[in-house]
Amino acid sequence: MSNDIAFLAEFADGTPQRSALELAAGAAQLAAQSGGAAVALAYGAGAAGGAANVGAQRAVVLGDEDRPAVTYAAAAAEAARDALVLLAPATPNGRDIAAVVMGRLNVPAFGPVSEVDLDGQTLTAKQATLQGSVITASQPVDGAATPSVVLVLANTFTPAEGNADTADVSQAPAVADDPLGTAKVVESHAEEQAAVNLEEATVIVAGGRGVGGAEGFETLQELASALGGAVGASRAAADAGWVPYQLQIGQTGKVVKPSLYLGVGISGAIQHRVGMQTAEHVVAINKDPDAPIGEFADLFVVADLFSVVPKLTEEIKRRKGV
Amino acid sequence: MKIVVCIKQVPATTADKRYEADLTLDRASVETVINPLDEYAIEQALRLADAGTVDEVAYLSMGPEQASEALRRALAMGGDAAYLVTDAALSGADEWATAKVLAAALDKLAPDVALMGMASDDARGSLVPGAVAAMRNLPLLSYGAELRLEDSVARIRRLNASGHDIVEAPLPVVASVTDQVGEPRYASLKGIMAAKRKPLETWALSDIGLSADELQGGALTKVTSAEPPQAKPPTERIENAPPEEAATRIADWLAARKLI
Repeated sequence: MSNDIAFLAEFADGTPQRSALELAAGAAQLAAQSGGAAVALAYGAGAAGGAANVGAQRAVVLGDEDRPAVTYAAAAAEAARDALVLLAPATPNGRDIAAVVMGRLNVPAFGPVSEVDLDGQTLTAKQATLQGSVITASQPVDGAATPSVVLVLANTFTPAEGNADTADVSQAPAVADDPLGTAKVVESHAEEQAAVNLEEATVIVAGGRGVGGAEGFETLQELASALGGAVGASRAAADAGWVPYQLQIGQTGKVVKPSLYLGVGISGAIQHRVGMQTAEHVVAINKDPDAPIGEFADLFVVADLFSVVPKLTEEIKRRKGV
Repeated sequence: MKIVVCIKQVPATTADKRYEADLTLDRASVETVINPLDEYAIEQALRLADAGTVDEVAYLSMGPEQASEALRRALAMGGDAAYLVTDAALSGADEWATAKVLAAALDKLAPDVALMGMASDDARGSLVPGAVAAMRNLPLLSYGAELRLEDSVARIRRLNASGHDIVEAPLPVVASVTDQVGEPRYASLKGIMAAKRKPLETWALSDIGLSADELQGGALTKVTSAEPPQAKPPTERIENAPPEEAATRIADWLAARKLI
């Protein structure tokens, strides 16, 4: 075992995902504590060309093709075998790979966490469990094998500014006889409303049943644009077809951790709350003074969203001078 | 074609939950349900059975003896048989140990598809399906909005950032599905009566060829503290303000926190 901190660096369309840059920052922090190196495990379209520059000391290219992330999982496990910690983004792809690493190497796994620390080689992971009613700290049991696999929520670490150092890049050896590698995309369908990567947004304006329809979401989009953020939704709004499912936040949608979450016409049911409870600042606009979101928002505005949201958009544009 | 749906009994979403002094979850005193996200996996399996694609649906759970209640509830929705792995060595099992046990039981049941929900209500790591696939050396099709089966392949419809993909792998597979498969059916009175006569077997670890030693005490992780979330300052409220004033006050609030 080394003291290295490995992290998953996913690429798409030739560029690293924001999660790769965030985890690079996290791995660098932890590596400073463990005395090891930050090692990128890069995969996806463009990984071979970009792996050197995600902000790691070393990079291992698992593969450079646009194929299901899980098909890289066995190679990720082999590449992480000697690491102390493996950081994975708490996205469906990141979880698939993390799960395979846990199962293949019989190592402990944690998360999704919003805080992870190393004291020498002892890892402590903090996470919200039981729908956020409890914050638990967890560690590997004594004698557990390494690496410890940690699922990390987006926006837990801040990507380093400026040009990253150039890493030593190597190619991961192919894994023989790997059934996980047999999954393949046989059809791909783009939908009209191409969605942003919600997990990576630092400002989210989310709408719920109260928004009333697709037109209402245009109003929210204007506010989100003024704030430099993205639009999200509750399950009710996605189920109603007002927005694509890619925008759904909550238990069965995205888990987000923006610096500002602005919930509009969202009641704040527990299934939604678990998807946004680690947001740094929560503002809610709802005409129901008893909406549950009023109990955990930092600022709760009891008002008709259709009159307040356009005014707020104007006010923000005015202050930003646009 | 045979599907085994893995289900977990969890505390009800709205139940008052707490940790015991030994930092394991108090599962005895709270109301329990089938993990709500597993009900979608049950629904998907039953739809494939209704369509005649699948001729056997069985359920598998790991948990304390009372988890048999969750299996009976699943059998009341439909399906043919259920299996519960219960063993004193499994108290406090983490996701790794859960996957280890399910993988061993699935090896014995040898289904074409081992189907799971996308996450559990009480842990939310979503790690069990992928770990089971790795342990059984099978392909993983995860987060399906729909599962389709043909002679020798399974396909899922999976959302991506801008639409969806159809992902395919050769059977047998481990798969997980989301809440987009469609609303789970309710158990009918007839279903509830029929469930009482359906076979429900209880297995100990030895029945699936595992020893307590192999499970390394039932967990590779340990909870070292469990605390309520940090108390936040009380919610600030803006009420009965005209729209312009409300907008200005919200903007002031955001500006004071450097959010604009």
